[in-house]
Amino acid sequence: MFPDARIPYGTWGSSYFPAWQQSALAEVNIGQFAGEAMGKILGHRRVPKSELDYLVIGSTIPWHWKFWNAPLVASCLGERLPGYHLEQACATGLQAVIAAGAEVQSGAHDTVGVLTFDRTSDSPVGVFPERRSYQRTIPLADVWDNFGFDPATGNAMIATAGRAARKYRVDRREVDDLALYRTEQYFEAKRSGFLDRVLFPFDVLNVQGKPLGRIEDDLGVRPLTSDALRAMRELDTCVTGGTQTHASDGMACLLVTDAKKAAALSPRPEIDIRFVAKAEIRTEPSLMPEAPAIAVQKLLERTHLTMDGIAVVKNHNPFAVNDAVFAKALDYDWRKMNRTGCSLVWGHPQGPTLTRILIEALEEAVDLGGGRVLVFGCAAGDVGIAALFEVGERGNR
Amino acid sequence: MKTMRQSTLQTLGLGDVLDMFRAGRLPADAGALVDRVFGEPAQRGALVISGCNGIVGAGKMMQLGSRLDPFDVPVVGLDFPGAPDGIAKQYPGLVRAFGKESADRMMARMVRLTYDGKRLPESLAAFRPRFLLEAIPEILEIKRAHYDLFRNAYPGIEIRSVTSGFPSSQLGVGIAHPAFPHEVNKVFEMVEPQPSDVTRLFWAIGLIPVPVSDDWSFVLDVLFCGITLAALRYHRDTNMPVWKIDKYVRKHVGPNPVRAHDAIGTAGASFLTWSCLHHLAEHYGPLFEPTPELVGRKDSGLSWYPPDHFRPVVDWPLDADGEADLQTRIVGPLVQMTALMLHENRAHLTHLNAMGELCAQFRRGILAVLRELGPEKSIRIVERYHRSHPEAAQTAWHADALARMEEPAWRQLYVNAEHDGKVGVITIARERYNRDVDAELNRAIDWLKQDGIDRVIVTSDFHLSTQMVGADTGEFFPALDDVDEGFRVSESWSRTARRLHGEFAVSVGFVAGKRCLGGFLELLSHCHYLVSVDDAQLGLPEVTLPVVPGMEGCHWPFRKCPSGEWGRLLHLALTGKSVHARDAVGWLVDFAGPLDQALACAWETVAGGGNGLQRRPFAEGPLADVTSRLPNLPPTGSSAAEVARSAILATIRDACGAPLADALAIQAKHSAEFMASAVCRRGAVGQERDRTQV
Repeated sequence: MFPDARIPYGTWGSSYFPAWQQSALAEVNIGQFAGEAMGKILGHRRVPKSELDYLVIGSTIPWHWKFWNAPLVASCLGERLPGYHLEQACATGLQAVIAAGAEVQSGAHDTVGVLTFDRTSDSPVGVFPERRSYQRTIPLADVWDNFGFDPATGNAMIATAGRAARKYRVDRREVDDLALYRTEQYFEAKRSGFLDRVLFPFDVLNVQGKPLGRIEDDLGVRPLTSDALRAMRELDTCVTGGTQTHASDGMACLLVTDAKKAAALSPRPEIDIRFVAKAEIRTEPSLMPEAPAIAVQKLLERTHLTMDGIAVVKNHNPFAVNDAVFAKALDYDWRKMNRTGCSLVWGHPQGPTLTRILIEALEEAVDLGGGRVLVFGCAAGDVGIAALFEVGERGNR
Repeated sequence: MKTMRQSTLQTLGLGDVLDMFRAGRLPADAGALVDRVFGEPAQRGALVISGCNGIVGAGKMMQLGSRLDPFDVPVVGLDFPGAPDGIAKQYPGLVRAFGKESADRMMARMVRLTYDGKRLPESLAAFRPRFLLEAIPEILEIKRAHYDLFRNAYPGIEIRSVTSGFPSSQLGVGIAHPAFPHEVNKVFEMVEPQPSDVTRLFWAIGLIPVPVSDDWSFVLDVLFCGITLAALRYHRDTNMPVWKIDKYVRKHVGPNPVRAHDAIGTAGASFLTWSCLHHLAEHYGPLFEPTPELVGRKDSGLSWYPPDHFRPVVDWPLDADGEADLQTRIVGPLVQMTALMLHENRAHLTHLNAMGELCAQFRRGILAVLRELGPEKSIRIVERYHRSHPEAAQTAWHADALARMEEPAWRQLYVNAEHDGKVGVITIARERYNRDVDAELNRAIDWLKQDGIDRVIVTSDFHLSTQMVGADTGEFFPALDDVDEGFRVSESWSRTARRLHGEFAVSVGFVAGKRCLGGFLELLSHCHYLVSVDDAQLGLPEVTLPVVPGMEGCHWPFRKCPSGEWGRLLHLALTGKSVHARDAVGWLVDFAGPLDQALACAWETVAGGGNGLQRRPFAEGPLADVTSRLPNLPPTGSSAAEVARSAILATIRDACGAPLADALAIQAKHSAEFMASAVCRRGAVGQERDRTQV
């Protein structure tokens, strides 16, 4: 797709994603935190921030001074970079990476930082004066009111999961089993030390410079049992508290650059990470969980590939139903997906979710010795997005 | 005359300290020097400060204006018509220092004129300019043209530039480079072929002129710009924000170099730092190459620290390895730069060492730090630093300059000794007593004893140390958690002090400056006599910190004091309030008078002349009921000080109640135990540790 663009291995990182209201991240300007955190991640990765010449940021929830956009976040990173803000609901974290690839491929910039972040805790309340509306002035809580109402259909997010489960005749027992399996995958990745390679702890300061809290865990993730899942009340078809994600706060970042610079910046220059393809679709109203599967089908058709040719499959799955639908639509064993965890388990801060998923997927592919990496997910408006990357050895295709 | 090493006064052409005592007067008279620099009173010429509204110019208008005020020297400030008024900002400080009436009088005497940079105002001639202190921007051509302007108009005028970087050979005038903050810092780096009347006048009016060689950026700005550069280079390499690097630099060296730029004024300070480093890099190579961030700041003037509304969110703690690496990358270049200055003989080692402490917030002098490390470790630090900055190894690395640490000039950075075969003088060039001073004082005593000298005066150096403010509280940080360390410090320092009492036939402590407090008062009290200028403040402020005096202040002075005056000593120790020396004669000091009289008295006393003082009896046995003389004391105003007051009172009771042989250990035990208490950790010493040790 972008033959000249590369993602330098091992220059990425993410914060942990503590559940909303459970950590010091609930108290910060998340744009500032993200900028400072990216500086620290790059420092840990031995990438001087001066190597960047552009910054694409992605977030979905308004934050203080967001008008000032990527340049402000770059200042918090410690470098006066140009850049812009990109937003596409839960697809933001992947779309921002694609956009950075386009910047490099076009020759506009050499090394582009991708920085996605969101704080669902205490999301702002917007007041929208609309005189021709019968309500005239509408206050809107950015996270919960949007989750609860798709203005295009009048339905809530959760209703789309129920509708998709019914359309695909998904079984509640299978969804519970799937959610349990996903949780076990996450805890196994954590136990193995895999997450330590992509997640960074951060000490958050208050305005006096004193410790406010340490962000060192995906707070809110709890081990599940089969019995507990079975006992949970169904909120819509196949959707319970245990089979859907939770809101959280966090950031994630990576770099996109050309092949030569990628080799120079990476601690393992022999690893070559390329962009292969991207697809995006919008499905029928209120069937959001099937959208990613359709996007993947489109992607495979266009690349003339099958799922057998994919080494790592990882997705944003706010509902366990997403994975069950995907498995049916693609005739794919959901146990082979999300081997190091997924947003169903570790939470969903929206903007950075798919960036962390991509980082984990690429790291997993490197562990496997390379191969194609499929990352996909759903987004508000019944949208599905999918992208394919290839992890190989430098000089070999 | 024999000296351990060259006295720093000799670098000013002012002779030795011992000569001063023998003569009974200072070697330079301010009035006579004013006449020589500015002309006789009837024809008194003016001091002109060009660039008077800048930070340097305005500060020096205040400082020199106030010090020359008694001599009716007109002070004329010159600047562009549109220059923002920098002098009015200084007025509140002047009021604080001198009171409103005097401040108003001084301001009234300061004349402000404007010019266009090309022609001097005609009205300037009426003031008969005799001495120009140039404080205009650091642009060589502009400075040179400026001097021509003055020389053409006023042939023979003395000119000094405040430049922080350009050598005198480039400018064509002498240098008087002042240190920040300019309204109060007394240090000037002076570049001139021989010490001039201007330099001696500066000394005579209480400033601290320091001769340095004519090399780029002299000493101070090699150190200050150098450590700033090291911090910025670390920032560039690691992304660690400058505010956090500053904290680590403060922990390991002392200053917050980057914060200092914002405090001084980012645009001007960054330009000056860039200018110094740029020229140093042109001359010496990549060791001094400014980082792109500094180049950008000199043009943008953007603050280094984030604004208040973006106070940092993410902390950057380092593990032990990371901190060691940071230390190498900060201290390494500093060592290399210091070796370069040593190689070029840029200054008397005492000056080179003190410059960082006096003007750049270094916790210890750079040479004292290197001396403690030793040559091998110092060189290894530079070599480790070169791994992260290999270009710096290519030029300007003079490891051999670090090889002479055993020479007297290296060994006696703070303490010097002189003697004439009969009488010795020990001078201390540091205002705060620390382990370096303690070690050097012991070596000075050894040296005098070795030469058979048993009569000694102990005093400040009449140059770098203008007051003696007590112990360096940074020395107590380890003792906050380790009672044994507190005992060791107290016990060893007390033993040093006792040598002044026990190893000389006559010892005279001499207070020349405006105050002698805490540990220094305890030290000098160990001398057989204490002589002071009459307006010096003497005190034991430990109770306010709070700590318990550790150098025998809780019993030694009582043993020399008539029992009827014990109440005064108790008041001194338990309130922390100081007294004028003139009010302490007979119970704390033996003589107080004007400086000339005090010098003469000290000399007569030590040299055994007929007008010497009567030695007060010294009680070596237990003193009974000292604390029963407790006067009515005002409340301390804080619970911590009340606890300290009780602890000091208990120490006085126990130490005075013991024979001299036992009292040292008793005092040290009390002092150490209090130092390790929660009260002390929460007090000024503990807070200072928490603030500076990350």
